[in-house]
Amino acid sequence: MTTTSDAPARRTTPPPLPPEERARLERAFSVPRTRFLLGIPVAAAVLLWSMGGAEFNFVKLGEGSVTMAEFLSRLFPPDFSKLGTILELLVETLQMAVVGTVLGAVLSLLVAFAAASNIAPRWLYYPARWAMNVIRSVPDLVFALMFVSAVGLGPFAGILAMTLGSLGSIGKIFAEAMEAVDRGPVVAMQAVGASKRQIIQYGVLPQAAPLLVSYTLLLFEGNVRGATILGLVGAGGIGLELTTAMRMYDYGHLSAITICIIVLVTVIDQGSALIRRRIT
Amino acid sequence: MTSAAAVLDLPGHAPALPLITVRDLRVAYGEHVVLDGVDLDLRPGETVALLGSSGSGKSTLMRSLTGFAPVTRGTVRVAGHDVTHLPRGGLRALRSDVGQVFQQFHLIPRLSVLTNVLTGALHEAGAVNLVGGFSRAHRVRAMALLDRVGIAHKAKEPARSLSGGQQQRVAIARALMQQPRVILADEPVASLDPRLAGSVLRLLRQIATEDGIPVLVSLHVLPLALEHADRVVGLRHGRVLVDAPAAQADPAALAALYAGEDEHDDHDL
Repeated sequence: MTTTSDAPARRTTPPPLPPEERARLERAFSVPRTRFLLGIPVAAAVLLWSMGGAEFNFVKLGEGSVTMAEFLSRLFPPDFSKLGTILELLVETLQMAVVGTVLGAVLSLLVAFAAASNIAPRWLYYPARWAMNVIRSVPDLVFALMFVSAVGLGPFAGILAMTLGSLGSIGKIFAEAMEAVDRGPVVAMQAVGASKRQIIQYGVLPQAAPLLVSYTLLLFEGNVRGATILGLVGAGGIGLELTTAMRMYDYGHLSAITICIIVLVTVIDQGSALIRRRIT
Repeated sequence: MTSAAAVLDLPGHAPALPLITVRDLRVAYGEHVVLDGVDLDLRPGETVALLGSSGSGKSTLMRSLTGFAPVTRGTVRVAGHDVTHLPRGGLRALRSDVGQVFQQFHLIPRLSVLTNVLTGALHEAGAVNLVGGFSRAHRVRAMALLDRVGIAHKAKEPARSLSGGQQQRVAIARALMQQPRVILADEPVASLDPRLAGSVLRLLRQIATEDGIPVLVSLHVLPLALEHADRVVGLRHGRVLVDAPAAQADPAALAALYAGEDEHDDHDL
């Protein structure tokens, strides 16, 4: 067909790449595009502007490093004489993280059904998304303060704060994991006459499960770290002991607490990373 | 299912009542008319191949049979359901009576082959199923179906570990698990190599004759249709151009279904 004459052949051939465009693609070292050349100074300007606003100052950092070294030197040697208390509080921190993560993940899953566009009707989808955005924009410490005043000092307030914080951080990610499933099995489940609940149970959840578990483990890692902070406002965990040690200038104890936190967080992160690798 | 066998279109008997009846069907998406005055009958036990180039309306006709397409005129009756006037909840009842097989199999990749087959019985699974349970009777039936399609030895494997041909057999077993009164297969072999394509189509035809279930299968490879179907129905521009027993189909009429195809392809490439 293309050999008969020139005219029909030209009609069926797609328009060729302009020669200058082709030459550009074939050149080893290409001149950066205009948008790239413009983007660099803009990004640099934003960075400088932000440094100014945040009072970032290299000179101050240099002067301060002496004080910092002095502070660090006081941390040695660590004093493990109160190891019993530390371990007890670390276990409490871990327990808070476990409960907060489980509650947070369950709640997130429920809200995610309402916030996944391929599952929820429009009238439910928008409010659910909006609620999660609001929750996410509130710092966890604010929740902690709120719950401390509601249920009193202690780990229970911490757990409640962590549950809400978890919802804010993974609710939307859960919803997006469910939206990202392959449509095929969902169509197949509709085709066998399955109910809405069955379509979710067989068409959506099995496909999203590895991602959901993986995100939950990441959340757990984050919550273990976060639980060490919540104590600052009296919401349980090791944070309170940490602040007290700092206020009392008990540097040996402070150092021991910090080392224990580092060990715990590292072990949890590594363990969780190991599991996540196995399931995805 | 004994009643279905009884109404089989055997020689010397009066022709059995059709299980799919399409009359003067018109489907339009806005201004765009996809099907225009389509008539189609499928009797128990017959395998009908639906032919036509892309854009001829094949897929839309398939979809209109299970209530997935906007019918603007005409009637569609499938296994006793009036598709254009379904009562509340009628859509699920209709779909549970229609076994569907897809080009991309649409199995649930991480679940076992057995569970995938069991999902075919979801419409009759009760509240027990909330925790993922299926009755022993369902499991026995699912295993028997896997025997029938020749994949029982893979029952425990996750569906994603199977080859394309095996996955399509599992999908057929899932459709049979529904105890369907009609089977629709939309391009079931388009993703398979020719050797497997033949065996999957033979399986579908065997099911049609043994169970007395009409099978409507859309294909884009003419020789496969002529070899594996009792009857061919050809669509072009949303109208039925050919409707004849496979052995007697007019080659010129069949060629007309695809007239102008090559030029289109050249433009796209």
